[in-house]
Amino acid sequence: MTETFDRMMAVYEGREGAGVIFQPRIKHWYDVNLAAGTLPEKYQGLYLDEVYRDLDVTPREVWGSGDAGSEFTGYLTLQTREGDDVEVWVRQTHGLSYETEPHDYVITEYRTPVGMMRQIQRRTEYGTSLYNVEYFLKDLKDIEVYKYVLQERMYRWDRLRYEWGRRRYGDDLPLRVQLPRSPLMWLTVGMMGFERTVLMLWRQRKEMEELMLLLEEEFYKMLDVCKGKPIVELSFGDNMHQDMCSPPLFKKYVIPFYRRVTPKVHEVGMYATSHWDGFVKQLLPLVKETGLDGLECVTPLPQGDVTLEEMKEGMEGMFLRDGIPAVLFCPWISLKTLEEHVRKLLEMFHPRLILGISDLLPANADIERIRFVNKIVKEFNESL
Amino acid sequence: MTERREELFEKVREALTNFDVEAAKKATLEAVQMGITAEEIIDVMSEGMELVGKRYESGEYFVPELIMAGETMKEVLEVLRPYMRGEAGGRLGTAVVATVAGDIHDIGKNIFVTLMTIAGFKVIDLGVDVSAEMIVEAVKDSNPNILGLSALLTTNLEQFPIVVEKLKKEGLRDKVKVIVGGATVTEEYAREAGVDGYAKTALAGVDICKGWVREAMS
Repeated sequence: MTETFDRMMAVYEGREGAGVIFQPRIKHWYDVNLAAGTLPEKYQGLYLDEVYRDLDVTPREVWGSGDAGSEFTGYLTLQTREGDDVEVWVRQTHGLSYETEPHDYVITEYRTPVGMMRQIQRRTEYGTSLYNVEYFLKDLKDIEVYKYVLQERMYRWDRLRYEWGRRRYGDDLPLRVQLPRSPLMWLTVGMMGFERTVLMLWRQRKEMEELMLLLEEEFYKMLDVCKGKPIVELSFGDNMHQDMCSPPLFKKYVIPFYRRVTPKVHEVGMYATSHWDGFVKQLLPLVKETGLDGLECVTPLPQGDVTLEEMKEGMEGMFLRDGIPAVLFCPWISLKTLEEHVRKLLEMFHPRLILGISDLLPANADIERIRFVNKIVKEFNESL
Repeated sequence: MTERREELFEKVREALTNFDVEAAKKATLEAVQMGITAEEIIDVMSEGMELVGKRYESGEYFVPELIMAGETMKEVLEVLRPYMRGEAGGRLGTAVVATVAGDIHDIGKNIFVTLMTIAGFKVIDLGVDVSAEMIVEAVKDSNPNILGLSALLTTNLEQFPIVVEKLKKEGLRDKVKVIVGGATVTEEYAREAGVDGYAKTALAGVDICKGWVREAMS
């Protein structure tokens, strides 16, 4: 076990005395600058983890059903297996994955014996993200198709990728598996869009609640696959934001979901966390009721809507991953502002902190600020 | 007659604030049959929407309630459409709103659009990932009093000064107030971009716009 591994475990376990790990997510910065031809000379031709090594910081592993947002896309350990009579068709109409063109769409269709559902997406400028032009679920008919897809779906452990990743990163990084968003956010962000989710919850509540329960079953299937594997953390990719998930909806759907699921995660000896990268001032006072062990990416002011004090109070007993607003890495923000923020964060949250960026290093950020923060972290660790 | 009229108006307001589409439609149709003009009913609906806006401001309602109220109003307007003489909305003026080129984030922008509509603006929502050229074209075509620009990604904040420059080039800059918002926008950045206003939240943004209208009227 390396020192990095031990320090990470200390955060999970709430152990005193270990130093802080700085684990910034730089893949977005890397991907955009690679595609735009603006990577610094010294990083051209390097793999992402070689850039991490040069910066002397820890990479963020995401082993699970992650995709383009994962730090190490491709080293997944959960594979989705659709039912035998479910066909999935994906087609990009024009450009390349990193170079989109006007009227360029990615069309995905699920064809099943009970009907077809379709999603249309567009890539962002350098292909680092996709946004929905048309969501899969538009009406009750689509929901019936989706229910069929879910009932037939299975998950498998990807042994080969796991073994490969373990050899490459396993000594340094406790294994963390990325799971989908909790059911309400799964629908809101991924399957229906915000407005339709709200309207269907208003008008077709029974059908929507049934669907959310079915989505919950997916987590139990995934948990079954994870059971007995050397996984330390299960991370729910919620993208929580109070304007999409208001406190009443959070209380009605999100808290009960987590109260059912987190004990099952704990039973198998793992920690449960969720990704909260939006405005969360109204939700933080409720988070303790979920039973989650930690939160990723809570974003303080000036980018988010909470102070560090509010974060500390709301997350009492939980650990924080990240905490530096991404905008502080941009050249128009003074180094003094960044330094003050980092020092305060370290003082307030250690030993329950894995330091990182909330959420990603911006493409036009100054990469040398990563080194600057790392220096502060090292000084802090030496002072312990 | 006056009493019945007030009673119906109250029913419309109440149905809107409770998102009761059927009750709102029923009261509206009764009002029309009594000879009340569509425009008068729309004014009453605006009062109801203002109440919804106030409840949002006070933290009693949240964004989903704004959406449900908006949907209720939309359905009632459909009932009223055959009786209307012109287009509804826009007593405070027109706003063109967009998330700038390269950016797809629209939560804040959509809330701003809803709140501006509730406040009484006619809003032309251009959507996300909108080029500076398209934004300037829309300003040229619709002659709005307000242009609202949104961005989340720091790389796309650069679009704000680009839009401002294009407006200047087209001789439109003095005709429209420009307000920007988005989580990564700071007041300093907005000032340097040459816009007229910056808001941390959609609600604050609407207040600034209402202030501009009041200023112009006085």
